[in-house]
Amino acid sequence: MLKIQEIREIIKLIDQSAIDEFVFEHEGSKIQMKKNVVSNVTAVKPITQVVESVPVNVQAVQTPVQAVQQIQVEEMKQEVKAAENANLHKITSPMVGTFYASPSPDADNYVKVGSKVSNDSIVCIVEAMKLFNEIEAEVNGEIVEILVKNGQLIEYGQPLFLVKPE
Amino acid sequence: MQSDIRKELLDAFTNAGESYLSGQHLADLIGCSRTAVWKHVEELRKEGFELEAIRRKGYRIIKTPEKIIPDEIRLGLKTGFVGKNIYYEDCIDSTQKAAQRLAYDQVPEGTVVIAEEQTAGRGRMNRKWHSPKYTGIWMSLILRPNIPLSKAPQLTLLTAVSIVQAIEDLTNLHTEIKWPNDILINGKKVTGILTELQAESDRIHSIIIGMGINVNQTVDDFPIELQSIASSLLIEKGESIPRAALIKSIFTYFEKLYLLYLEEGFLPIKLLWESYAISIGKIITARTLTGALKGKALGITDDGVLQIEDQEGKIHHIYSADIELN
Repeated sequence: MLKIQEIREIIKLIDQSAIDEFVFEHEGSKIQMKKNVVSNVTAVKPITQVVESVPVNVQAVQTPVQAVQQIQVEEMKQEVKAAENANLHKITSPMVGTFYASPSPDADNYVKVGSKVSNDSIVCIVEAMKLFNEIEAEVNGEIVEILVKNGQLIEYGQPLFLVKPE
Repeated sequence: MQSDIRKELLDAFTNAGESYLSGQHLADLIGCSRTAVWKHVEELRKEGFELEAIRRKGYRIIKTPEKIIPDEIRLGLKTGFVGKNIYYEDCIDSTQKAAQRLAYDQVPEGTVVIAEEQTAGRGRMNRKWHSPKYTGIWMSLILRPNIPLSKAPQLTLLTAVSIVQAIEDLTNLHTEIKWPNDILINGKKVTGILTELQAESDRIHSIIIGMGINVNQTVDDFPIELQSIASSLLIEKGESIPRAALIKSIFTYFEKLYLLYLEEGFLPIKLLWESYAISIGKIITARTLTGALKGKALGITDDGVLQIEDQEGKIHHIYSADIELN
């Protein structure tokens, strides 16, 4: 089975060449590439991702026994996200209690996805036994995900928000 | 200058006793115009004095406001730090907000903000707290305990116990606590406590305990919608209670319990709390943002968390809710 880097290399070479169509068969796997056809990027497992902005269209077809699988765009996104997650800052709860997204039920939420926060921005309140703890972002950045719901009981150390640091 | 006129005016009324003083007489005495006298009389009225004005006779003071004089609290106060540093305001937005600002300014632990009137007094979920002038105790206490942040909610139960002890000591009224820290007499709320925390990560910077105690309100002082659920010490006792003495007593009980807590933890506080608890063993409803839970209140955990057993026998741990006694 070819590695993604190897496929990329082939794409690059074919793109720079005068070849219109390329078929490669090896140990039951088949890769087929065509230039200037309808854009439909597919690949076979386990070669799932060929993400290159090249003017070729890649078709990799496995043996007829196995179904051809489309590259799952979502899967790609998830992988990209997972890679990004490693760089995201988690705002966690310092205590057990109830999560409130706003200062009172009829008020606007402190933050939403896309909100810019700075170190001392209040992002939510955690309450236990009528003790209200205003949680600060403690990071400069942008809220990319809110992980809990208004009124939800949260645990000590539970992640509440993901922030992309700036 | 203005305060000099005020002082002379009050002196004149003090000397006059029950007799009336005419505007002209007061003007001559103080050395100002009759209009100025009239302005100062209006100022006094705004501050809670009741003045009777009779044509051709003049004015006399028929009721003085019962102001809390910080010196009266300080006199005879035997605490080590609680209430040693008092910020006293005639009218303020909210003592909590003022205390938050002070806490950032590194005032010593035990500093208290007391106001005669709050224009934006708040309760749980930013509900308005009705705090009319000269009637109650509206104050916020700043603490800086060296305890894990997760233990901080226990201090709200401790505060309730200290206020109950002070009220019972001064009034002999049977006083109870509704979880976590509402104080009731004859089933009506006389005190609410709201606590706010300033922290950085897991480290407590300060804890600000806001207390609203209904002391000398009459029934008419409460909005109609509160009259069936709220009360004051005056209404329950049938006589007015000296607010400065009650404040002093709260400081004393609070400091004693707080030092005990820092030394021995929550257990002794829990035992005291339970001895005043109204809801334990009863069927109650806990209302939260996400719904209501009805069941039997079993008690509190070693952390102060309320345990409710539902009809299927399942035990729920309640961290925040409005409790209704069924």
